[in-house]
Amino acid sequence: MAGNATEPLIETRGLVKRFGSFTALNGVDLQVFPGEVHALLGDNGAGKSTLIKILSGVFKPTDGEIIVEGRTVSFSSPRDATGAGIGTVYQDLALNALTSVTRNFFLGREITHFPGPFGLLKMGEMDRIATEEMAKIGINVADPNQPVGTMSGGQRQTLAIARAIYFGAKVLILDEPTSALGQKQQMEVLKTIRKVQKFGDIAIILITHNEIHARLIADRFTFLSLGEVIGRGTSKDLEGDDIKRLMAGGAEIGDLAKELAV
Amino acid sequence: MTQATTTRKESDRLASKGWLKSLLARPEIGPIGVMLLLFGMLGYFSIPAGEFSLNPFAGEGFNALGIRNNLRVIAQLGIIALGAGLLIIAGEFDLSIGSMIGFAGACMAMVLRWGFAIVIPYISFEGGMHVEFFTLIYIDNISPIGAIMITMCFTLFFGWLQGYIVVRSGLPSFIVTLGGLFFLRGLTEVSLRAFNHRPDQTKGATTVTELPDIKNIIDVPGHGEMERSAAKALPDADLLAILKDVPADTVASLTERLTYTAQRVADAKTQIMAAKGVKPLERALENAIESGNTVMAETIRNKIDTFVVTPTVPKEVTDIDVARAYIDTLGSARPIADFFGGDILQPIFDFLYFPVDWNTNNFGNQFAPGLYSCVMIWVLLAILCYVVLSRTQAGNWIYSTGGNLQAAKANGVPTDRVKISLFVFSAFCATIFATCQVFEVNTADAAKGNLKELEAIAAAVIGGIVMTGGFGTVVGIIVGAFIFGLAKEAFFYIPGIDGSFYRVFLGLVIIASALLNENIRKRIMGTL
Repeated sequence: MAGNATEPLIETRGLVKRFGSFTALNGVDLQVFPGEVHALLGDNGAGKSTLIKILSGVFKPTDGEIIVEGRTVSFSSPRDATGAGIGTVYQDLALNALTSVTRNFFLGREITHFPGPFGLLKMGEMDRIATEEMAKIGINVADPNQPVGTMSGGQRQTLAIARAIYFGAKVLILDEPTSALGQKQQMEVLKTIRKVQKFGDIAIILITHNEIHARLIADRFTFLSLGEVIGRGTSKDLEGDDIKRLMAGGAEIGDLAKELAV
Repeated sequence: MTQATTTRKESDRLASKGWLKSLLARPEIGPIGVMLLLFGMLGYFSIPAGEFSLNPFAGEGFNALGIRNNLRVIAQLGIIALGAGLLIIAGEFDLSIGSMIGFAGACMAMVLRWGFAIVIPYISFEGGMHVEFFTLIYIDNISPIGAIMITMCFTLFFGWLQGYIVVRSGLPSFIVTLGGLFFLRGLTEVSLRAFNHRPDQTKGATTVTELPDIKNIIDVPGHGEMERSAAKALPDADLLAILKDVPADTVASLTERLTYTAQRVADAKTQIMAAKGVKPLERALENAIESGNTVMAETIRNKIDTFVVTPTVPKEVTDIDVARAYIDTLGSARPIADFFGGDILQPIFDFLYFPVDWNTNNFGNQFAPGLYSCVMIWVLLAILCYVVLSRTQAGNWIYSTGGNLQAAKANGVPTDRVKISLFVFSAFCATIFATCQVFEVNTADAAKGNLKELEAIAAAVIGGIVMTGGFGTVVGIIVGAFIFGLAKEAFFYIPGIDGSFYRVFLGLVIIASALLNENIRKRIMGTL
């Protein structure tokens, strides 16, 4: 399943981020290859959020570099990151539940008949594209004019992912895409991620708390703890318990199980 | 662990929603029902007492004058409701609309009456320290379009300022525009008194009167520009001179029309006289029958049967009448004033009088000259708003700004600009309202527009706008304005009840609409 490319699509070298005297990231190296799902795991406060906020242009790193397709880049805004092909799907998805699928799909990037904010929308074309793009990653929208509020959490994830890909994301950052969902919808989202993985040219960074999901879908793992990488490897390299242990930040989760059993 | 398998897909759940349910999820459906109810009420209750008709359109609420007056109330409210409604969809409020109307009207009237000046105060030290004024610009005799532009500069700037404060400070727009409400109303009164004061400083009225009837200034051939009423009061010789240059077919058609009016007025008079003459006889007949006096009854019955009124002779149509009628047909020499304060659809209303004979009052004259111009302006604004809100990129931005501000920002929507623009648009609508009023009645009053901001918000809520933003349509806002205006009229016509009951009714409608809107919103959000 793992991509065969040898060149990483996105890479960080010695990424450091300090907030005043607090060091959130202390020299993080990360390599993400096209066609791969790279699981970024770690306990709360490990620095996952800081890392993805740097990658998506929200924060500027204190030190270190980001390399996209072999070129060192520097983002001063989320728009720069989007322009460089990094699409971030946040937990709240940035969707307006009260308007339609199409309107959300094209929010801020509407297709219009003539330029300017008063350009008439090409509704038909937008409906068609939104439906097609979502179908590509496995969701058939019955009606592109249905309000997003009527969609399930899984479908909303799909909409946000399809949107990011359509608008040029080569690196897709998914921030806990399954955390707020029910079992069935979690599986739906995983299927969607698998579909994107199969495209082969998109690198996916998956932030998750869920070890089972990570093991189901990820090709490669990076474990963060207290701002540093404490372990990494491909899915073949890691044993089940390794993942559990590393996710908890290296502590012996087995001991905890015994303690709780008392 | 058992593996539960099912063929049911997520999308099936949406498909189960039938057409009825999706119709009920339309934000306008409830308000349209109320509007139809009010149409029925207005029609039914405005049928004069003692008459019976199953057709509610036979009522006085739907005669030509009723339509003219009702539509004016509805259109005026509709204009500001568009501004208020769009702003609420974007998640903000404007409570300064009413004061803005007063301010804009006063500003415009003052500029029209006294001209426009930019005066710079400075401190002079000659002969003791005192403040002197340097007049930078003084323009007397400003045209209607000039007055409108100058007023727009002030009101749009103030709208922009309110929006800027709201987006920059993050304060609730409720508070910022509440400040605007007091500030503008006070400013209007202060400036009106300052301009109006008598030389002895005793009294300053908060009104502007004595404006010419600008929309009715016409270019009379051979006399130049003058007010229509003055032109019609010209000496007979002048009137006949004017008529000399009028084409023969125009004279012919004017004469035909005037002859018709004369005949129609005479007929109406005859009818009234006949009714007046027979009525006492009928009453006497009833009395006679009651008292059993058959001889008397027979006599009276005979009298009724043979009762004849000499038909009134129609007034003769003179050349002077034709000349005056011709002056009535002359177009305004101030098209802008006429655009905002004049009438529209006169040819249709003329046609409905002659030859259709529907737009005719009890005395045989033409009832309504046309509709107020503000109706057309409302229609134009409504079409514009509809297209912008539902068919353009800007519309999508407005919805998302109010629906999920963070999402809109994350997707690159310039939400601050959207909000500020809509504050400006709200001020624009208030100014248009004031413009129509000033040119209709040629006066301004600092109290104009009082409480209009609440009426506009109420109309928007009744029309399905959710106060938290992100939800609603222009069609809804239009329907809301209709409901508000119709309720005012319909309750006025119900015999034997206090007209103020319309407020009781509207209060209930507002709460019911808000509940309904919230229900629809939740259904769409998927939380119900």
